[in-house]
Amino acid sequence: MVIADTISENIEKKVAVSFWQKKEETEIMLYIEDLYKAYETGKNKYQVLKGIGFHVAQGEFVAVMGPSGSGKTTLLNCISCYIPFDKGNIKLGGVALAGMDEDALARVRNTKIGFVFQDFMLLDGLTVRENILVPRIVQGEVEAEAEKLADQLADLFGIAHILNKYPAEISGGEKQRTAVARSLINNPLIILADEPTGNLDSKSGRAVIETFIHAREKMGATIFMVTHDSFAASFCDRVILLKDGKIYRQLEKREERSVFQDQLLDAIKEMSSM
Amino acid sequence: MGQTINMQQMEQKLRKADRKQSRLYLFCNFMALMIISAYSALMLSPTVQKVFPEGGDSAKQMYMIFVMTLVGCVVFTIYAMGLFFRHKSGQLGVLMALGASRKRLAPGLFREVILLSGMSAIAGTAAGFPFVWMIWHMFRLILVDSSEMKLTFDFRCLFVSLLFLLLVVGFACLTAWRYLKRTNIMEVIREEHINEPVKELGRWCGPAGFLVILAGAVLGYGAPWACHVWFSMYAPEWVNIFYAPVFVGLYMVMLHTVVHGWKSHRKNPYKNIISRSMMKFQGKQTVNNLLVVTLLIAGGCFAVFYLPTNGVSALIRYASLPYDYFYKYQADQDIPGREEVEALGRKYGLTFKDWKECDYVTLGMGGNSMIFEEDGLRYHTEYVPMQGEARVLSEDACRTLTGQEVDVEPGTYLNLTNQEETSLSVNESAKGFTNMTTRKELATEFAGFLHYDLLVDEISCCVLDNEDYAAISEGLTDEWRGRFVEFNVDGKDSYPFANAFYHLFVSSFDESCERSAYYDRVQKIREDEAGKEYWADKDDIAIISYELSDSFMFRQLWVYQPDFRILNQNDYLRNMAVMFMMFLFIFIVCLLTALVVCYTRCQSIALNNRYIFDDLKKLGASPAFLDKEVRSQCNNVFKVPSLVGMFSMFLLFSMILYANDGRVLREEQVAMGVCLVILGVIGIIIYAVYRSTVKAIKEQLGI
Repeated sequence: MVIADTISENIEKKVAVSFWQKKEETEIMLYIEDLYKAYETGKNKYQVLKGIGFHVAQGEFVAVMGPSGSGKTTLLNCISCYIPFDKGNIKLGGVALAGMDEDALARVRNTKIGFVFQDFMLLDGLTVRENILVPRIVQGEVEAEAEKLADQLADLFGIAHILNKYPAEISGGEKQRTAVARSLINNPLIILADEPTGNLDSKSGRAVIETFIHAREKMGATIFMVTHDSFAASFCDRVILLKDGKIYRQLEKREERSVFQDQLLDAIKEMSSM
Repeated sequence: MGQTINMQQMEQKLRKADRKQSRLYLFCNFMALMIISAYSALMLSPTVQKVFPEGGDSAKQMYMIFVMTLVGCVVFTIYAMGLFFRHKSGQLGVLMALGASRKRLAPGLFREVILLSGMSAIAGTAAGFPFVWMIWHMFRLILVDSSEMKLTFDFRCLFVSLLFLLLVVGFACLTAWRYLKRTNIMEVIREEHINEPVKELGRWCGPAGFLVILAGAVLGYGAPWACHVWFSMYAPEWVNIFYAPVFVGLYMVMLHTVVHGWKSHRKNPYKNIISRSMMKFQGKQTVNNLLVVTLLIAGGCFAVFYLPTNGVSALIRYASLPYDYFYKYQADQDIPGREEVEALGRKYGLTFKDWKECDYVTLGMGGNSMIFEEDGLRYHTEYVPMQGEARVLSEDACRTLTGQEVDVEPGTYLNLTNQEETSLSVNESAKGFTNMTTRKELATEFAGFLHYDLLVDEISCCVLDNEDYAAISEGLTDEWRGRFVEFNVDGKDSYPFANAFYHLFVSSFDESCERSAYYDRVQKIREDEAGKEYWADKDDIAIISYELSDSFMFRQLWVYQPDFRILNQNDYLRNMAVMFMMFLFIFIVCLLTALVVCYTRCQSIALNNRYIFDDLKKLGASPAFLDKEVRSQCNNVFKVPSLVGMFSMFLLFSMILYANDGRVLREEQVAMGVCLVILGVIGIIIYAVYRSTVKAIKEQLGI
């Protein structure tokens, strides 16, 4: 818990993050309606998402779970505009993504969404600080304000001491916390995370989940996370269970985390036996 | 606080970090342009163009292999570019995922690809000239030198390099544009790990492939013959399409290599399963690469086989000639007589024996001639009374010269040919001879062949009954009369004498004899009388000059070129130098290109499967096991195309040698033996490169 404690201490010290004002645009941050997506391999067509619909409220921390092939990652990739979807509606901060041109989608990815990949996807040739700043760099010149923010985020997530190091020189946990800091640099409407703890040991995984919790609590971030890990999911406010491209069930956390984890495991067990 | 960076600076940093990835791309681009510019520089240089007759088989072979090399270079350049982008795509994908739009990424990406491909291509083009200059001078220094070997460039060859350069840069930009156009960002990010499996065929496809190759070779080689025999036409260019099954067969063989391998896995189905599956899942590109390597190695072998097949037969012929010196001349020329030659010989400490000489006459000879239709391909055969020149001897003269018992029935003629009866100047269809001065005619019939190699050249040589000879040659002027001379050296011959005598001999002729063996005086008269233009009056092949009496062209084409054994033996390589060195150069270029493709392919397999090797390490694979897997990968890339390329070309050559006259002559057997030795040397070179490739890849994978 050393890393998590360090992060907590940092948060206590560096709360003055005025730019993380709670967003007031809308109650519902992410709105998904009747979403369909299929992949084609040769003559075969595989329907992966079959009319999914749900919403995520502002400031909510939601996880999606389900067996392999249930469509979790596809759902996340559609929301993040990484892959086009076939049918349905996705609204982010009240704005529909369908019909946007490439430039507009790029702007959404840059300013409205922060994405955390399972395998970090840091750029090897850049330092940790530069990696955090990449979303700002692609906007144009990086101003002093952005650098200050990058340093604050690094402080917040306990990676200030490695800011000038390269990805090859840091641990997996540090890489993922760098990726989380990068996802927050543009003050996005939502953070989308694809199995962010999947490549980490339990200690580093826990530290990453803590960063999400702190980002949500202290900065009002809305987080939508795909995970296989019931422990990681048990920190969320709500978990959506997917099966065969459809929502099987949604569970809300009303009890203690450990109780919620048991409920999740039971639900997964029930889903698997169906 | 760190230093503030902008997009351009970030791209620079990323480029710097990707130096290793760029290196392979730069290397391949550089090599491709160097090879193309070197090949085109030499191919189009006046040095080579002067020696390779336009439209001749040698020139066609040179251009054909150039096209093959070009294809090879295109393949490995595009492939290296693909590899570069596969790696680059991860970076591009991340930037796209983080919100960089196409417009934002495009300038940096285009700048990078134009810079990389442009600079390497320009450097490669520039390096092509020193490269060819260096190799050519190495040939001159180590192998052979002559005045004809002086290398000059026609810088119009740069046009070929420029086209290739534009192709490289254009394709790089197109690939960059295609990456930027992609809408599925996850595909861009994961590009490096996307497999490209090939469509499998059953285990029959490999053995069947060999049969298809054989069928293609027989069809391709047989098609022109079929055109000739069945349709009375010369094969048009498109007939080469019959060779197409060869390529299909090669594809099947390579597919089998990639998908199944050539070892039986029945006893141990898990043996080499990892290396086989690695290959299989990058099958498309691997099969294409193996195919190109096979063609390049086959092309290289084709070029290098030219040397022994031509060289050995010529050297064996020279060695087996019955006399050390043989020459002929027109009666109206002031040629040194026996005393003068013997006096020259004494200067060099030589005495001569077996001196024989006899007269001959040049007559117009009738024969079946191919009359072409307007399309220039179809023809019909028609008897022409004055088809061309023939050197004609009497029975007595022939007996004197050849030492053979010769008996020719009156009203018939015997035609001279070589021992193997492969001479192209025989004429069995003559019904008569014409005295070109008096136009008197003699009716004759073909009565058979006589064998005497020294009398065989581009002009047909015949023997008549003594009385027929006397009758038909009556009234002939000296320009239609001539003399054959032959003698041996008593003891060891001397090259300086032969050289001095050759130059004395050539300098004794006047301008009227400064003509090519292809310039037929009888045909010229016939065409003039018919009011037609004679082709040889305007064709380069019929033009020679005494000033170039040491040149390849002169010695190949002069109508009175003598056969001096020691001169021919010593000067053979020098006379053929440009042609031989060009083919040797082609071989070097083809082999080099093939090895670069193999190296690139092995590199790409290693790079693409790095994560598999890492996983295998994690699963406890020993270094010995990993070493075996790397070797197995590289082995398939190097071994199968090399073996197929080398031996299919060897078999094709053997087939051609056999099909020429339905037998394999002694000199052809020796040439085939030399070809096998060359294949051994090529095998050693390929093995050495294979070993260093394995070593480099193992270092990269940390094995």
